Parts: sequence; structure tokens; C-alpha cells
Amino acid sequence: MLQRLIRFLRREEPSSKIASNRLKLILVQDRLGVNEEVMKDLQQEITQVLSRYFTLDKNQVEIDLQREDQAMALVANIPIRGMKGRD
Amino acid sequence: MGKVIVITSGKGGVGKSTSVANIGTALAMLGKSVVVVDADIGLRNLDIIMGLESRVVYNSMDVIDGSCELEKALVTDRRVENLKLLAASQRNNKTDVQPEQMKDVCLKLRETHDYVLIDSPAGIEQGFENASSAAEAALIVTTPDVSAVRDADRIIGLLQAKEVSDLQLIINRFAPNMVKKGDMLNQYDVLDVLSIKLIGIVPEDPSIVGSSNRGLPLIYDATSEAAGAYKRIARRLDGQDVPVPEFKAIGWFSNMFGKLFGLD
Repeated sequence: MLQRLIRFLRREEPSSKIASNRLKLILVQDRLGVNEEVMKDLQQEITQVLSRYFTLDKNQVEIDLQREDQAMALVANIPIRGMKGRD
Repeated sequence: MGKVIVITSGKGGVGKSTSVANIGTALAMLGKSVVVVDADIGLRNLDIIMGLESRVVYNSMDVIDGSCELEKALVTDRRVENLKLLAASQRNNKTDVQPEQMKDVCLKLRETHDYVLIDSPAGIEQGFENASSAAEAALIVTTPDVSAVRDADRIIGLLQAKEVSDLQLIINRFAPNMVKKGDMLNQYDVLDVLSIKLIGIVPEDPSIVGSSNRGLPLIYDATSEAAGAYKRIARRLDGQDVPVPEFKAIGWFSNMFGKLFGLD
């Protein structure tokens, strides 16, 4: 009881929640056989291709694998500053 | 013709052998003829959990190399006579047995028994290959923690690749008080990621230590919650429709009340 109150006051996430999130990510990576390095390469290449067309903030690009029910998805968040002039 | 079921987990120490001993005994108490097979060659311990170590004369290796007939190698349980154990060899190595040989033994046992339960060793190597070679169904044991669930997922993948499609999950060492405090994954978290059918949740029970000290499966302890859970799992395995109860956390008040009046 007290523990939960302290946790609430500190806005700490319960460890079971952290475990659940870690597990979801680990299993997505396990099942696909991808690791962090592959994800990094992928992000770099996608950023490269997109920057031919758009002005991007390269540090803001986020690409993650996520699991929704039985399906897996590649979720990308890529803020665009503007279109590149093509000539 | 019976059914061959492998009990496996990937990770060690999550309660495979305990589950085999208790589910096997519970099925036998339902009147079924059951053989439990210790497939952990080189590290046998199912005989100890069942209190049968002094009765073991022959093991599966003797059957495979032809020095003993199958029926003769089976050890009859001390309490339930329709429960038998086929022990593992302690002197051999997992690689001394081929999956095909283990499969032959299990399929022969299936002809004369209702259930053949195979206690798989931890890991995904040859020991697991041997243990699962004849299985038409599998019970996957996990505890509610990240590493055990990850290994369970790997094992599920391997079993599916072998076209063992009847897969059911046992969540062992479940502690409702810790779940309530947010310190343990709950059953929904586990089922959500593993996406196989749940056959039962076994609550954490300290009396399991005394039970293996004595060589007496927990199932004989009428007051144990874990024993009740194993009995329900056995009935579900046998095709009965038994609902999974919600395990409630015990608050400090009811805990104290229970202790005072001996309700525990």
C-alpha cells in the first residue's frame, strides 16, 4: 500500500509494465531476427532516400518495430521541414 | 491408443519436472493409465521428485540398446498403480540417443497407456529434439518473467516448425500479491505476447520445496493451492471443461485474520 503510494507520488512506472513493454519489443526482434544494428542501418538508408526529396531533421527520425495483435508493423515517425527543389 | 504430450519450456528451473510429476499423478488419480518419461538424459531427476529413485533398475537407454524390455523398465508408482515412470539414464549423454529411437519408445508406450507425458530437458538442443520427437501435443511451462517468456516463445516457434500444433501454456509460480503491487507480469501480459491457449495458472507455493524433499508430489497436499491448480490442469487436459479461477491477492487484513484463526 505504502509502496504504491510512494510510487504514485514519484510517478514511477510499475516494474511489471516495464517488463511487459520490454517483452513485446524483444519478441518482435526475436521473431524477425533483427537486431539494433540492422535497425540502425535501415534508418540510415531510409533517411538517405527520403532526404533526396525532403529536407529532414535527421536527428528526429524514429523507426521502430511494433507489434499489434498478431501482426508486426514498421512504424516510422519522420518530421519533414520542407520539399527539396528538384531541377 | 493414448496421447504423447511433451512438457517443455526452453528455460530451466521453471517447473517442468514438477509439472510432469503432478499432472501425471493427477491424471492417474482420474483413473487414466499414465507413463511419465524422463527425457533429461544425464541429469535425471523426475524419479527423485516422485520418490521413486530407489525403485529404478532400468532406464530408457537400456530399452533403446535392447538390454531390457520396455514393460520391464517401467517403474510403478508407490501410491497409484496405474502411474509408471520410465527413468532417464544418468550415465549417458543426450547425444547418445537419437530422436527416432526416443520416438519409437514413446509410440510403443502410447499403444498401452492413455497418456505418455515427456519431461523435456531445458534448452533447444538435442535433448529437446529427443523429447519432442513423438509429441502430438505440448504443454509449455513458463513463469511470469521476461526471460522465461522469451524462451517459451522460442520453444513455441520450434514446436510449430515441427508441426506440433496442439500447444497449451502453463503459467507457473504466479504470485497474485506481486501482480497486484505491479511487481509481476499478469497472465494477460503473458498470453498477449505468446498467443497460445492457456491450460492453467499454478500459484507460487512454498510447500513445493518440502514436497520434493519428501519425494511426494504436491498433489497429495489437499490444502495446497498449487495442488488444486494441477488437478484442474489434469482435468482440462483430459477434455473436461474446468474454468481457470482468478487468483486473488491476500491483503494484510485477511492475511492477519487468517493467521490468527488458523484459516491459512
